Amino acid sequence: MAYLSMGEAHRRITDYLSRFSDAVSSQDAAVLSPLLAVSSNSASLQSLADALNVFQDSNRLVGQLERSSQLAEIVSPLLRCIQSYRLGRFADAYVVLEKAANAFLQEFRNWETPWAMEALYTLALEIRLLAEKADRELASSGKNPEKLQGAGSFLMRVFGALAGKGPKRAGALYVACQLFKVYFKLGTVHLCRSVIRSIETARIFDFEEFPVKDKVTYMYYTGRLEVYNENFLVADQKLTYALMHCSPRKEANKRMILKYLIPVKLSIGILPKQWLIEKYNLIEYGEVVNAIKKGDLRLLRQALREHEDRFLRSGVYLVLEKLELLVYQRLIKKIYVLQKQKDPSKAHQVKLEIIVKALKWLELDMDIDEVECIVAILIYKNLIKGYIAHKSKVVVLSKQDPFPKLNGKPIGS
Amino acid sequence: MATETKPVAAEDPKVDLFEDDDEFEEFEFGEEWDDKEEGKETVQQWEDDWDDDDVNDDFSVQLKKELESSSEKS
Repeated sequence: MAYLSMGEAHRRITDYLSRFSDAVSSQDAAVLSPLLAVSSNSASLQSLADALNVFQDSNRLVGQLERSSQLAEIVSPLLRCIQSYRLGRFADAYVVLEKAANAFLQEFRNWETPWAMEALYTLALEIRLLAEKADRELASSGKNPEKLQGAGSFLMRVFGALAGKGPKRAGALYVACQLFKVYFKLGTVHLCRSVIRSIETARIFDFEEFPVKDKVTYMYYTGRLEVYNENFLVADQKLTYALMHCSPRKEANKRMILKYLIPVKLSIGILPKQWLIEKYNLIEYGEVVNAIKKGDLRLLRQALREHEDRFLRSGVYLVLEKLELLVYQRLIKKIYVLQKQKDPSKAHQVKLEIIVKALKWLELDMDIDEVECIVAILIYKNLIKGYIAHKSKVVVLSKQDPFPKLNGKPIGS
Repeated sequence: MATETKPVAAEDPKVDLFEDDDEFEEFEFGEEWDDKEEGKETVQQWEDDWDDDDVNDDFSVQLKKELESSSEKS
């Protein structure tokens, strides 16, 4: 570090303090927010951190602030946070940031207007990001990583301060999304439920009035939850909303939405176009789509095996596994169409033996009883209309619409 | 995640709690965009009429051969 005189250090700290106090008294969130953005690596915060290392007694300067008692509770831990952060001591930095953030939240509650919303957003984001860094640091030194959980509790208090009636409610969705990110990371997604209830059941605020970026993020996370709950129709609706309204500049986010939306669409019988898979580099779905189109069970199983890790990690494996029934339907339909070409009068009778042969060709070794069982399931799930003549081992297909399409409904509904 | 050196403690569930591979990127504060533009593209992203009676693709042709040869045998 270049030499920094005591006088210069003193100047930098008082400069920061007066900017902070001016921003509060003039209620200027655009000035206040960057002063709170600890992890932003802005040049001015970095040079402030250097100054804090030189000038140890910054609390004395904080004491000289106007309205010092209220602001000191925020600024004094905040300065320590900025200093620790720059030194790479993230767990220490987190502890004091939480203090500063709590003091800020207390002030925020007392302000009648939501003028400081952007500053509160900044703190909410910083709390989460710093908690993640702190936990990584704690875990790597064998300590218990619990800061992100703490961040969750803090964000819940922020959410509580916003979610009620009044103009501050517009900020509730941003904080809800930060909470979702915490819960998804911690694997405690069941905690999302109370947040969702508070957002969706309130009659006092129209969802459409929230900022679009928060609506998109919210729909992405709640859509993912619906995928896990296998509510494919709601998942489709939410993820489609997220995709349609997502910023065109955020390709990575669009890709993430599609990662969940594609399996949802597949499970209601709608396929993504090839260009979509290619544009967003989601080739793991390419083979799955081909398998469905062809009726190629072997290809489906291969694709699931090949990308098993990826599908398991994102939690869509079970959704994709259920596509087997759709592929069986397609295969039997192909057999039916081929029979019809040869002899239309007998086409609606498909011997189970023939299906066994087709599967054997695909290297799937199933006996006639197993195939009969599969066909029974297909009939039960309304993927085939007809009945099984058990004695003669034949599927007798309905003459009308023997292979009903899903038409945007989930299998078996 | 792979570059991180975590203590070896596979049985501790907290260790793998650090990940959600699909964490949504933050939008910039105050970022606004025209979200009507996208509508057109969206319609052309999906197809629901793929389940046709076409059996001229390679897979179907192969399947046909296979079924015919096996019906001769039986």
